[in-house]
Amino acid sequence: MEPQEQNSRSSDGDDCSVSGFDSAEKVIMKWDATASEEAREKMIFTDPQEVKLYLHAVDEIQRYVSSSPGEELESRASSAIQIAMARLEDEFRNILVSHSSPINSDSLMSCSSHVEVEEDNNNNNEEEDNNNQEEETDLLKRTGSSSSSSSATTVRLPTGRGSYSRSTSSIREIELIPIDAVVYLSWIARRMVSAGYLRECIQVYGSVRKSAVDSSFRRLGIEKLSIGDVQRLNWEALEQKIRRWIRAAKVCVRVVFASEKLLCEHVFESVGAVNIHEACFMETVKGPAIQLFNFAEAISISRRSPEKLFKILDLHDALIELLPDIESVFDLKSSDSIRVQAAEILSRLAEAARGILSEFENAVLREPSRVPVPGGTIHPLTRYVMNYISLISEYRPTLVDLIMSKPSRNATDTNAPEMDFSEVENKGPLALHLIWIILILQFNLEGKSKYYRDAALSHLFVMNNVHYIVQKIKGSTELREMIGDLYLRKLTGKFRQAATYYQRAAWVKVLYCLRDEGLRTKGSFASGVSRSALRERFKSFNALFEEVHRVQSQWLVPDSQLREELKISILEKLSPAYRSFLGRFRSHIESGKHPENYIKITVEELETEVLDLFEGLTATQQHQRRRSE
Amino acid sequence: MPATDFQGSFGRSLLTLRRDQVDSSHHHQPSTTMEVELDSFQRQVAEKFIDLNASAGENNLLSLDWISKLLDSFLCCQEEFRAIIFNHRSQISTPPMDRLLSDYFERSIKALDVCNAIRDGIEQIRQWQKLSDIVISALDSSHRPVGEGQLRRAKKALIDLAIGMLDEKDHSSTTNLSHRNRSFGRVKDNHHRSFGHFRSLSWSVSRSWSASKQLQALANNLTNPKPNDVAASNGLAVPVYTMTSVLLFVMWVLVAAIPCQDRGLQVNFFVPRHYQWAVPVMSLHDKIVEESKRRDRKNCCGLLKEIGRIEKSSRVMNELIDSIQFPLSEERESEVKQRVEELVEVHEGLKNGLDPFERKVREVFHRIVRSRTESLDSLC
Repeated sequence: MEPQEQNSRSSDGDDCSVSGFDSAEKVIMKWDATASEEAREKMIFTDPQEVKLYLHAVDEIQRYVSSSPGEELESRASSAIQIAMARLEDEFRNILVSHSSPINSDSLMSCSSHVEVEEDNNNNNEEEDNNNQEEETDLLKRTGSSSSSSSATTVRLPTGRGSYSRSTSSIREIELIPIDAVVYLSWIARRMVSAGYLRECIQVYGSVRKSAVDSSFRRLGIEKLSIGDVQRLNWEALEQKIRRWIRAAKVCVRVVFASEKLLCEHVFESVGAVNIHEACFMETVKGPAIQLFNFAEAISISRRSPEKLFKILDLHDALIELLPDIESVFDLKSSDSIRVQAAEILSRLAEAARGILSEFENAVLREPSRVPVPGGTIHPLTRYVMNYISLISEYRPTLVDLIMSKPSRNATDTNAPEMDFSEVENKGPLALHLIWIILILQFNLEGKSKYYRDAALSHLFVMNNVHYIVQKIKGSTELREMIGDLYLRKLTGKFRQAATYYQRAAWVKVLYCLRDEGLRTKGSFASGVSRSALRERFKSFNALFEEVHRVQSQWLVPDSQLREELKISILEKLSPAYRSFLGRFRSHIESGKHPENYIKITVEELETEVLDLFEGLTATQQHQRRRSE
Repeated sequence: MPATDFQGSFGRSLLTLRRDQVDSSHHHQPSTTMEVELDSFQRQVAEKFIDLNASAGENNLLSLDWISKLLDSFLCCQEEFRAIIFNHRSQISTPPMDRLLSDYFERSIKALDVCNAIRDGIEQIRQWQKLSDIVISALDSSHRPVGEGQLRRAKKALIDLAIGMLDEKDHSSTTNLSHRNRSFGRVKDNHHRSFGHFRSLSWSVSRSWSASKQLQALANNLTNPKPNDVAASNGLAVPVYTMTSVLLFVMWVLVAAIPCQDRGLQVNFFVPRHYQWAVPVMSLHDKIVEESKRRDRKNCCGLLKEIGRIEKSSRVMNELIDSIQFPLSEERESEVKQRVEELVEVHEGLKNGLDPFERKVREVFHRIVRSRTESLDSLC
């Protein structure tokens, strides 16, 4: 197909070769655009016949140049070559330009689509979670999508996980330029290089292809954001951009850059010298590659705050996944700086993740809100922290590699709990951090519980929150594995103890009314019951019980099972005590005046009232309930 | 602000006032270790800039070599500043240091963006080098005498080079120029690219990004720390101000020297004379401003000395080629050879120096980031 270079036949006689030269020269001059209007109007490379003739002419002249034919011919030859090269340069540019539309959007979409489907599923979950978000403290206002719904069972799946393949089989080169155009380009390239016009060739190639890459970038939604721009954006907007960048970067490295590299190889294949296609490739993609990574770099530099952890880990994971592809596509010495930049960004992201974890821990320890949560229910901090560490446990594969040091406790800080590391010898640093976070959460909650004026309520608060912690741990296999059964038992013991303290604080006075001593008059056993004292007792009991009932119906134990258990536990003490008290002393009251003022409820009614407890009912609601009974 | 103070003083010359301030600083006796530390920092900065000022001769100022030295000096000062902040990190989260440091790190972000833009500019210079390579290889007379073809080839590259080196503000007038080198006039419409469009493709920053705005933001409200702040921060406000000024100056020099988008040098840069480093820094500043106003450099795209040399030698070469008539006289031939050698000389230096320079700019970027990350963590 390619116009053959004729064998040198100069030994056959000068006439032949000179006329060969003349006709070749004529062809070249014919197409000299600076000289002829017609040459400007038409393109050589639209007509295969003309192509053949022209390239044949160029080869012929080139032969003369390299065979030192004598001064006059040499000068004409060199001049003709220059004109030919100028022409070929333009033809080269023209072919490139007319075929360099940005990558077919269909190709781009199909490449990114399988990744997109994953992402979309996760996006939907996020939106739901956002709608279910509970009211949270200031610390948490910036949480955005990192804290999930209040339900213990729905946990957000992190994005971009799953296939952890580290192979480069994910590279997909596509045809950027139709094959016949590529053939023409390679024919021209060969001539230009052998005539010594390599630099011009590379320059034209690079400038046209680079602008094609830029267009593809625009189609992929890659923006030219400065570091300042990134700092100014709010985190929700940045999360979206990060998501988009991850999708786009995969397509860029695996499709766009890989395809450009292949194209360079094809165009400059037959050229001879090894490094030419490498130089062209770098000319084309170096700028865009740096531009691509600048965004990830800007994210890795941004200010650290807890809600950023998971997107930063996503970015980190995406880069790790891309690293083999980056190494494979940018395997030249001249592309060192790109590989180095990718590695730098990766290490900064890792550092950022570590820093954010530290900051999170500090924030939990120092979270300062003092307003007691009404009803002693679960504090938003508890929810936030437990959701956060549940998510951390899902990112375990990544974080286990990143978190390498134990949690540090400022030795002089008296306002923090102790941590005995000897008990947890077998645990890795990540697990230690999670245990530490739970410890400081508890510590903080203990502090908050002191702001309740009612001691019983503060114990209830502790019980509720520690119970929630336990439930969350049990609800996640990863978390449970890392925290370990030892600590789980400790926590369980903790909330059970709090329940006991609550009962004591809340009911001791009530139960005190039902005791035996002090009611019998001195001396005889048989009839010595002081009716007045008994009446006082009944009155106190009724008043106290009513008070407890009124107040504690407004308290809340969100977990239904715990609520029931607590009520049962109360009844286990209260019911028999009241029953036996009634049994022993009701006759004394009933034999006197107005027994109904003293014995106001039956045992059954008592039990029913206890059922009202911890439902979080307001006074009006209680009243309405009573009305309907 | 010192400037307004000067304006308000009647009957006293500027010089007298400054001398008074200089004199008063001599009475200050550093006593504590902290004061020694802070004083040593001031001295180090001063020494670096006195040295830079001394080596800023006619040919050296704004050369790649000199700017590299400037960056080295920056890195040294930066390290010492970082050490000071680290040594006193217990103080940095209380007012006024928290505010002052936050402010410094906000400004440092602008510097990071400038560093990135400079990378583009360096790439731009590399493109010119490639064009010059064409000229040099075309006119290389070692194998055969230079022919008409070679001259045309060199001429073509020289025109491209001249266009490439135009200050981008002038690009609108060159749209016609960019088509002159094409051998055919009919270009497909949807691939028509004006030169301006071509230019913006090579910047990795958005169209609205402006180097001059970055500098202005860096310099915004940069004033000598108030005595209250100095006292409340135990003197730490002073190194912060110093480091900010050094940062601003270095970025300003980079923007002045290397091509970048919207390169404006109008920045209010003034340092009160009582600082030991004020005189050399202001002197360098003035010299560079003067350089920018010189007739032959007024509209250039970058004040880097080497850029000026490329411009000059390529212009001379262009003129020479235009004046050549064939056949080539021996005189002309040797002239061409000479000019080529000049061009080669200009480029050798750049060829070897540009890569390390780019790496140094990147190092500056990294150190600023590291210092920022460390301190911001402590600030929380």
